[in-house]
Amino acid sequence: MKSKYGGYMGKVIQLDLSTKQITEYPWTDKDRELFIGGKIMAAKILSDIFTGSENPLGEENVIVISTGPLTGTGAPSSSRFNISTLSPLTGILASSNCGGTFGYYLKKAGYDALILKGKCEKHTWIEINNNKFIFHSADDMWGTKISQCQQKLKEKLNPDGKKKYGHICIGPAGENLVKYAAVLSGERAAGRAGVGAVFGAKNIKAITASGNHVIPIYDKEKTLNWNKKWFKYLSKHPLTGNQLPRLGTAGLVSSMQMCGLLATKNYTYGRNADFEKVNGETLAEQYNVVNKGCMTCPIKCARTVTVEGKEVKGPELETLGLLAGGILNDNLQLVNQWNYELDELGMDTISAANTISYAMEAKEKGLWDAGLEFGKTDNISKVWEDIAYRRGVGDELAEGSRYLSRKYGGEDFAMNVKGLELAAYEPRMAAGQGLGYAVSNRGGCHLNGGYLVILEGLGLRTNPNTPKAKADFTMLFQDLMEMISASGQCLFTSYAFFPGFLLTQPDGPITKVCNAAIPHIGWALRAINKYPDVLVIHLPVFHHTKIFPYALNMPMNFGRYIRCGERGYTLERYVNARFGITEKDDTLPRKLTDVPQDKDDPKTVVPLERMKKTYYAARGWDKNGVPTEATLRRLKIK
Amino acid sequence: MVNVKLFGLLRLDSGVKEFAAEAERVKDIYTVLIEMAKQNGKTITARNIGSCAVMVNGQQATKNTKLNDGDQVIFMSMVAGG
Repeated sequence: MKSKYGGYMGKVIQLDLSTKQITEYPWTDKDRELFIGGKIMAAKILSDIFTGSENPLGEENVIVISTGPLTGTGAPSSSRFNISTLSPLTGILASSNCGGTFGYYLKKAGYDALILKGKCEKHTWIEINNNKFIFHSADDMWGTKISQCQQKLKEKLNPDGKKKYGHICIGPAGENLVKYAAVLSGERAAGRAGVGAVFGAKNIKAITASGNHVIPIYDKEKTLNWNKKWFKYLSKHPLTGNQLPRLGTAGLVSSMQMCGLLATKNYTYGRNADFEKVNGETLAEQYNVVNKGCMTCPIKCARTVTVEGKEVKGPELETLGLLAGGILNDNLQLVNQWNYELDELGMDTISAANTISYAMEAKEKGLWDAGLEFGKTDNISKVWEDIAYRRGVGDELAEGSRYLSRKYGGEDFAMNVKGLELAAYEPRMAAGQGLGYAVSNRGGCHLNGGYLVILEGLGLRTNPNTPKAKADFTMLFQDLMEMISASGQCLFTSYAFFPGFLLTQPDGPITKVCNAAIPHIGWALRAINKYPDVLVIHLPVFHHTKIFPYALNMPMNFGRYIRCGERGYTLERYVNARFGITEKDDTLPRKLTDVPQDKDDPKTVVPLERMKKTYYAARGWDKNGVPTEATLRRLKIK
Repeated sequence: MVNVKLFGLLRLDSGVKEFAAEAERVKDIYTVLIEMAKQNGKTITARNIGSCAVMVNGQQATKNTKLNDGDQVIFMSMVAGG
């Protein structure tokens, strides 16, 4: 339905894959005001469809691929799009966010979102060009790895190199329903929670989008000027303008080591004695060929390394941490190689790494021998292939760590929450990050969890072990990131929220006051979280709000922004509650709550239960972790 | 003598990975490091060094922290990512 707002194409399309029927999904400006785009929009659509009885790999599951209103407006780092569906790994709502160009080209084709229902009868790839939806046979693509599939798409769509299009595709892991299969767009991945397996279950190998629609911008001059100012700010900020462009996320390894946050030997330790062989500095000095970034991104956090004589995407922090110290491997080039192999097979590197490290600890404890051992690296490449093609022991590893621990034992060291494996941050030295993992809507995700490590050692240095104020900060950061994501932007733009001097003057008086004050301002945050509507302001360090009136002509301020994020977060929880999620699922493996990281310091565990109570109260969820009727009405979800 | 290690951007900016130095306090290391960077054809300032977190023997420290023979000093830029 046509929109009065800029940034939106005004059309959401529903494809019934079983009948090949194409219909417009009703999506009004009121929906746009409340649910913005991206993951929040997807949660609303799926909330209206799911009953709680759907099977993730069944025909009844639905995929929503949604863009944000800022994609195509020139806002920094705004080329992201979102894939939401019911996850085969967790059984609850998955939202997986991706860079690359597909979101932009979907809008150029004229659409804000695609809803995929039913199941293609045969292996299919779908070509979208303006109002044409062509269902092609994918028989000649099925079985191909990601780069081969992308090459075939190029040969079909763009043999002379003139046509511009965006694409998404799956690899063998998605085809074979590996529970943590990814969807790739170029080198970027919608990696988490197994969205690729849902594509495979629906017989979709790839989707391409192209078109010549103009993405509307309400006030071009103001938008351009604001974006210029924003780009400049990000380029001068110490994190987004210096650290991330020069070291990428891999630059975190050393800092995490110092803070005891680097998951080592399946999260047994928070420090890795061999970290200097596998840190971001070594990657930058010895392996990185060139930095890369997504469309309209000034940050350019991606690395490029050489594997098998080819220049390929380098590993992110998660992959580097988990496939190095996580499994006691000290060979960085092996991580580069495995990262490439996992991308080619179309698999989430985080879940793959955690699943094999579970298997290694299970062997060490005599529970299950999958042929995997800490420090043994010669068979890992073969294991990735075995997982992707579900051969031998790979068939079981393809189910993820939760499944394996329920079958073979060892749930205390199967490092997942709600079935989704944890990121590389070891939370016993970051209590707030521990809470975030536990309550995160999609399972053990550091970003959806609020990323409190930035306060607890990596950016600022507030007390990492105290539970004080952590629940309130978790809620605020989750809501902010929810909204940044829904807008179509990269979460890395949020780091500029922290004024540069706080990061570059760690011993400065203001920084020291901030570090000391953070545990004591929970009450203030609670008030902001409860009554954000009073914040009818734009913060000078947070450029995200002013772009809405300029590019979209949609009223926005900091309070409204937080409220939209809160709506999205609680809406996702509301959907998950329909699939049985309650307080009992907001847990961590006992290794993190019961076993101190430092055996001489009992405080080095995650004090989860105390923080959870405060968190639920702040969110307006009941003691079982379910949003109350009053909260749902307050947020206009009901 | 204390052992000094650099991580993060300071290491890239100075071209120095690690070295040993005579120092009574952390800030005494600054001039040695600035000189080493100069020998590598790079320019860093006391401000660059001061923007880093400092750890002495694994404990948080400041530029005024006193050092003992054999201490390990780490300079690390503050970072974030995802």
